[in-house]
Amino acid sequence: MRRILLSMGGLLVALLAFSHAVAPAAELQKVRVSIIPINDVAPLFVAIHNGYFKDVGIEIDTTPTTGGATGIPGLVGGSFDISYGNVVSALLASQQGLNVRVIAQVTKRYDRKTDTTPIIVRADSGIKSGKDLEGKSLAVNTRNNVIWLYARAWVKATGGDPEKVTFKEVPFPQMEDALLQKRIDAAFLVAPFSIVALKKPELTTVAYPYSDLQMGVNVGQWITTTKVMADKPEVIKKFVAGWRKGVEWYNENRTNPVLYSIITGYSKTDASVLKTVALEKAPLKCDLPQIKTTMDLMIENKLLTKPLDLSKIIDPLAL
Amino acid sequence: MSQRSETLNVNLWGFVSPVAVLCIWETAGALGWINPILLPRPSQIVLSLIELVTDGVLFGPLLRTIALFIVGYSLASLIGIAIGVAMATNRILYGLLEPLVECLRPVPKSALVPVLFLFLGIGKVTMITIVVLAAVFPILISTFQGVKSLDPVLLETGRTFQVSRLRAIVSIILPASLPMILAGMRTALGLGLVLVILAEMLAGEDGIGFRILDLQRSFQIRDMFAWIFVLVALGGGLMMLFGFVEQRLVPWRGKT
Amino acid sequence: MSSVSTLDDVRRGKADVNPIAGRPGPRLYGFLLIAVLLLFWEISSRLGWVVSSYWPPVTNILRAAVEQLAGGDLLNALLATLGRAAIGYVIGSAVGVCLGILLGKSRFLRLALLPLIEIVRPIPTPAVIPPLILFLGVDDALKIFIISLASFFPVFTNTISGVAAIDDTLIQTARTFRAGWVRTLVQVVLPATLPAIAAGLRTATSLAFVVAVLSEMIAGSSGMGYYLVQMQYALRPDLMYAAVLYLAIIGYCLNRAFVALETRCLPWMGKT
Repeated sequence: MRRILLSMGGLLVALLAFSHAVAPAAELQKVRVSIIPINDVAPLFVAIHNGYFKDVGIEIDTTPTTGGATGIPGLVGGSFDISYGNVVSALLASQQGLNVRVIAQVTKRYDRKTDTTPIIVRADSGIKSGKDLEGKSLAVNTRNNVIWLYARAWVKATGGDPEKVTFKEVPFPQMEDALLQKRIDAAFLVAPFSIVALKKPELTTVAYPYSDLQMGVNVGQWITTTKVMADKPEVIKKFVAGWRKGVEWYNENRTNPVLYSIITGYSKTDASVLKTVALEKAPLKCDLPQIKTTMDLMIENKLLTKPLDLSKIIDPLAL
Repeated sequence: MSQRSETLNVNLWGFVSPVAVLCIWETAGALGWINPILLPRPSQIVLSLIELVTDGVLFGPLLRTIALFIVGYSLASLIGIAIGVAMATNRILYGLLEPLVECLRPVPKSALVPVLFLFLGIGKVTMITIVVLAAVFPILISTFQGVKSLDPVLLETGRTFQVSRLRAIVSIILPASLPMILAGMRTALGLGLVLVILAEMLAGEDGIGFRILDLQRSFQIRDMFAWIFVLVALGGGLMMLFGFVEQRLVPWRGKT
Repeated sequence: MSSVSTLDDVRRGKADVNPIAGRPGPRLYGFLLIAVLLLFWEISSRLGWVVSSYWPPVTNILRAAVEQLAGGDLLNALLATLGRAAIGYVIGSAVGVCLGILLGKSRFLRLALLPLIEIVRPIPTPAVIPPLILFLGVDDALKIFIISLASFFPVFTNTISGVAAIDDTLIQTARTFRAGWVRTLVQVVLPATLPAIAAGLRTATSLAFVVAVLSEMIAGSSGMGYYLVQMQYALRPDLMYAAVLYLAIIGYCLNRAFVALETRCLPWMGKT
């Protein structure tokens, strides 16, 4: 009798344990994320590929965009929960009263050797410093963003007056031609365009502004709004956790062909181009002091009228 | 005399609906129905606008934009009318140019930017080309359509009088197709202005479009809207000007 | 424009073709012209007259274009764009014709609504996309709205102008026959305005297409516009130009289809 009871009890416990294990998974919660299809967001796609988000019950719906026009407005308008943005745009938005919050760091300069964002000039132009650029033109992809800011900072740091340099807006894909055709005198490029451009003997690097001026600079981030944080705090936490796991895998596997195929999948860049550059390490945290330095730079270049309270903008999650 | 006062009355009454919309906008903003940062209230936009004038920042970009518009639009009109008439009256030219025109038309000019930048650089010539490439098509098509739909009797009459080809075009065809040509030019007016702004955004060094883009990048939406108001005023002014000229040129249009 | 000099070239070069008898059709010259220009492109690229990754040999572009026919991303992008453009076009044109006729006939409505329409006209799409995203999001609603708006203006302008140009005698005649305003509308106004409406619709056809692509370039995640930019960033200018090629071909075919339709329905338009 006791044995029967015991075994029935055991069966009951086993059944309970079993039912817990096979309980139907809760509906995956959808998170809309706006991205720019560049190398920097690779860890996100790694995390999606490896199932880190599914494991915690969220599903990432990525929307690619090629410009800044839709990221933050879409975020504020409610079309996206999270958006990839650069630190300068995030601070500018905050200055105007748009309640954005930085929840994780995406891009950071660690090492000059893996820096793929140089200022390039024609080899025969003789331009070596910001002073040489006075009266000439420098191409940036967008004015008033982080690239423009650091281009100006570099000009100033190398003895030039940024006000005397003409900053032209040129899309990245057109910068190489514009340089070769002498339409512009210098250009601040990013990968993979910089890699391709430097293959030409007529072009040469004159500086790596990020590495030269502020090693460790925080460039790109995941941004959300206070409203989303209030409505879906758990989802945001899970996103950041999943993202960080993706970053860790990415850092360990930077030459893994699986990674290359993941990147090609969302950016359509050929793996052969990806292989030619050493992929940079991805950061796990934001660096408040770095962002403060950037903020000061913005004030100096008249992008910000006064310092902002970073504690209200950078969420503790990011640190 | 009475015609002029009639025009004046029309112009004054024409302001009623825009003012009504502005009032609704202002009220919605005051009641907090819309996000004040992404869509500011008209009163605040007007304040920004006044600042623009008092800071002296208004006139430089405005004049630049107007200059680009005048150059681009004039070129587009000349080319559009010339080619439109040519294609409608000469079968060989039609066959020669029609595929080229119709293949170029559906291609958005932004897609041609790499080629334009390559051959024409990143400056005024490219900007003018962008404007002309877009504005020429409505004018060309309307001109073509206008000439084609002419009563053949007109042309026959011309032939009976042994009028030379050129004279036929100038004294018969052009005046008769003027209403359609002007309709095309009216469409091209709006389109041309939009493309001037686009061109300034792509390759400009200053101008209304340039300013709008800059302000958009730094999320200074209020100031951006102030410039949009300036743009709308410019567009409105150009339209009114066009209306006056149209009335002078084609006063025989049926009145309802 | 360069086509003027090429015109002479063609005339001189084709002097042996009898222009009267056995002419395959004047449009052939146009295609020959395009072929000549493309040949120029190919030669200048291959011989290194113009060196740029954005000036690939035409044959590369053609190869890429044909490869995509086997079911590449390009076709999906094309379908997406066509779908959006079609919807926006229909909405914009319908509203354009209706408002064009209404405002053409009613002075009161003209006074009330024309200023609003004229104010919206010069507002450039790229400038108002951020506020529009607030209300319409970043998906199809936004793009279809922009496309409808773009299609509306040429149709509206041409319609209202066509209505105004109707010979008063026609209206008077209808009145003499005591035709009700609906009959007048359908049997007098519409047929008389049709050439003007047709011109507007024709302009709007390619405009809808262009604006669809433009909106996708600025705020898109699918469609030809997005594809164009994506290929630039993926360092595949040959695919980008292949996409442009498809756009040009489709645009041309749409236009020819339109003209054929026009000839069937409006046979009284003058022929040269």
